Amino acid sequence: MSAALQYFLAGLGIGGIYALVAIGFHIMWSSAKAVNFAHGDTLMLGAVLTIVFLDHGIAMPLAILLSIGVAIVFGVLLERVAIRPFADHAASIGWMLTTIAIGIMLESYATIEFGAFARPLPSPGVDKPIIIFGAGVFIQELLIPFVAVLIVVLLGLFQRRTQLGRAMRAVAFNRVAAGIVGINVLHVAMFSFALASALGGLAGILVAPVIQASATMGLLLGIKGFAVAIIGGITSAPGVVIAGLLYGIIEKFVDGYISTAAREAVGFSLVIVVLMLFPQGLFGRRELVKV
Amino acid sequence: MSRIARHFNPAFVVAAAILILALPHIAANEYELRLITLLLIYAIIALGLNVLVGLTGLVSLGQAGLYAIGAYTAAIFATRLGVGLVPGLILGMALAGAFGVLLAYPTVRVRGVYLAVVTIAFGIIVENVAIEWDSLTGSWVGISNVPAPTLLGLPLDTNAYFIVVGASALIAFLVNLNLMNSRFGRAMRATAQSEIASRSLGINVAAIRTLAFVVSAMAAGAAGVFYVYLNKYISPDIFSFADSVRFLLMVILGGSGTALGPVVGASIMTYLPEYLQAFGPWQSFAYGLLLLAVMFILPRGIVGSIEVLVSSRMAEARPETGHEERPRLADIVAVNPADGSACLDARGVSVAFGGLVAVDKVDETVDSGKIHALIGPNGAGKSTFLNAISGVYRADSGSITFLGQETTRLNSHQLARLGLARTFQNTELFSEMTVLENVLVAFHKEYRSNFFSTICRLPSFQRDERHFRQAAMALLAYVGLSAYAHEKAENLAFGHQRQLEIARALALSPRLLLLDEPAAGLTHTEIENLIALVRDLAASGITILIVEHHVELIMEISDHVTVLDYGELIASGSASEVQTDPKVIEAYFGSQTFGDGPAPAAGIESGEG
Repeated sequence: MSAALQYFLAGLGIGGIYALVAIGFHIMWSSAKAVNFAHGDTLMLGAVLTIVFLDHGIAMPLAILLSIGVAIVFGVLLERVAIRPFADHAASIGWMLTTIAIGIMLESYATIEFGAFARPLPSPGVDKPIIIFGAGVFIQELLIPFVAVLIVVLLGLFQRRTQLGRAMRAVAFNRVAAGIVGINVLHVAMFSFALASALGGLAGILVAPVIQASATMGLLLGIKGFAVAIIGGITSAPGVVIAGLLYGIIEKFVDGYISTAAREAVGFSLVIVVLMLFPQGLFGRRELVKV
Repeated sequence: MSRIARHFNPAFVVAAAILILALPHIAANEYELRLITLLLIYAIIALGLNVLVGLTGLVSLGQAGLYAIGAYTAAIFATRLGVGLVPGLILGMALAGAFGVLLAYPTVRVRGVYLAVVTIAFGIIVENVAIEWDSLTGSWVGISNVPAPTLLGLPLDTNAYFIVVGASALIAFLVNLNLMNSRFGRAMRATAQSEIASRSLGINVAAIRTLAFVVSAMAAGAAGVFYVYLNKYISPDIFSFADSVRFLLMVILGGSGTALGPVVGASIMTYLPEYLQAFGPWQSFAYGLLLLAVMFILPRGIVGSIEVLVSSRMAEARPETGHEERPRLADIVAVNPADGSACLDARGVSVAFGGLVAVDKVDETVDSGKIHALIGPNGAGKSTFLNAISGVYRADSGSITFLGQETTRLNSHQLARLGLARTFQNTELFSEMTVLENVLVAFHKEYRSNFFSTICRLPSFQRDERHFRQAAMALLAYVGLSAYAHEKAENLAFGHQRQLEIARALALSPRLLLLDEPAAGLTHTEIENLIALVRDLAASGITILIVEHHVELIMEISDHVTVLDYGELIASGSASEVQTDPKVIEAYFGSQTFGDGPAPAAGIESGEG
């Protein structure tokens, strides 16, 4: 029983990270019908830079803000350089390769500067585990899913209550029509990538105390976050968060009861099965072809 | 299709074969020969992937998984049962091909970025199964001590093995080339450019995508088998996500959809690490930067960009559009004389989108040999009705009978094969293909030659290809487009695009032709031509169901007019009957009373159009 609870709570923690990454993919997809395949490296950027800033004696809160700032700049530049010129029509795949290319460069640069080893990011959230019914869990792990849910609620409010948020929804619904009614689609895309990257950087900083920060930490987190976004239904923010949390929990159970390698095999098999049953994802909107 | 690709000939094949035979003697040392062997293995995988990405427009980021399946199959059978190269190849390709079918299945429902995720997931699953299934795969340690390859019991030395791989790569190249220039390649490119139009031409999109997946999977499987015997050792880290990206990159870098591109891409990606070593720790950074630079400078890849340059140089002067005699349709495609029976019968057909009922219990019969018009104000449900009877949408209730057969539940490609052809409101041409190819796609189902004879260029293929090229040219002459046969469809003037859609639909030898607003956007002269064309079609025995806003045209050519409003059938009869029907006038003008204004009948005639 305590083992099951342990897996459940730890699953919520890692699932919260997948959820945060997936929200980022959702935001990017909504604005550009393309995503940053190197979004996992945005997490790495947030985590690694925070450690680097701490090394330079910068206080934790400032280090976090600076790292998120850099992540935002990265996202905005990436959208401008690697997405916008390569996502001009629906069938374009250029953006997949350009963003992967930038991810490779970033990861390689980080390996050179930061080193090829993993380092922990100190956090009061992982000082000592708290015990709930015999299951030990770090406060950090409980905090992450809470942040993910909070962000999706705030995002929903933002998209309903503010002009910019409403513009984001309009662009997601129909880029051309949004442009016709005077919304600057390119600005919305830029803002969306900035927002997604800020959330990515934050996710990296939140997860680093639990799984340690390294130059290569982003790849698998990014792939899983994207898979989660797709099975949750990339058009639905609450959908991707639910899918993220579920995926994390399932993963920890497989991890605990079977093995780590089986974890990936089972997890990604589930992704395929879900997509066969729900081609638009679990909570996605079905797009109707009009001729 | 690339102009360069068309000019490959036996001389090229002989030259390539001589080069392969000579290379072991030219290569400076064992290491260089090994590198070239690796290059050819990558070329095989890239050529296969080209069929999927370049022709069919499906992105796979899991090709390393299929590569791994081929490699592990061969390694396991070779180390445990001492199986030779040929049986290893057959097993590896068969198993990879089977997984190709499995991977293709989701494409029935998902594509684009969703499919990318399925393939990524597949690659990661294979990698992790290889790690986890210790007893079979040796987990992280992998499988070593792979024996030297044997061909029919004879051991192959390095040079002989190189020649075997080289010959296989040449075969892969020819398969790719012959596939591209065949009905299968055309169907693949058609599904990539317009799925809906492909279906309307009788192409089973799921089957074509499965074929593409199987071809690319078998190529990846074969490459995996060859790799095992080259490297003598495999482990899971050779088949990671990064490798799938690399394979995709070979295709894009060389030029996806071209014949030589994958080979060029594979060559560069094989030799690149050799040069990048000079960058020391910056090696992978330089790799990323190069990839980014290529995407910016050569978005069509190396060969693709060269082809664009060459073909713009070679652009022939457009022949004069002489005034052609319209050939008889019956001489080109099979036409059945009309017998006056019901061609299409709709009973209580309803289609709803959410709560909105777009078509509401419509009953209508289209008699064979007639020109039947479907009119109504915007949003009346005309196009929805057309989509329901042509299988694009499925009717929520009611039944549809076509030529006496219940067809309510059939897909559009099944309907097309029964003889129901259509055009589209916003033309759905295969814009990247030539005018001639657009028509040839519609003959896909008429070909008798199978996949094997197509790939091997057997006489049955040659006969079919010649026959249908002639038929397609004749159809182009019929609609007056012969002069543009080799022009890309997207470069045609709008009126010509509409004509091409009709020619394409006629290739199905239709019994019923649905025309969805064929006059929209046409000039006065073009409409005159359209009227003559439609009349000739009807005279040839083809039943026409036409949706149109151009009321003058409708009144002039229709034998029967059906009027829809808010999804309901409000009038049905001859042109003059519906013209004076009060319900029709109300639908168009909102009121029955016109006071001293022009007569309603005159009003409707000039009011729309």
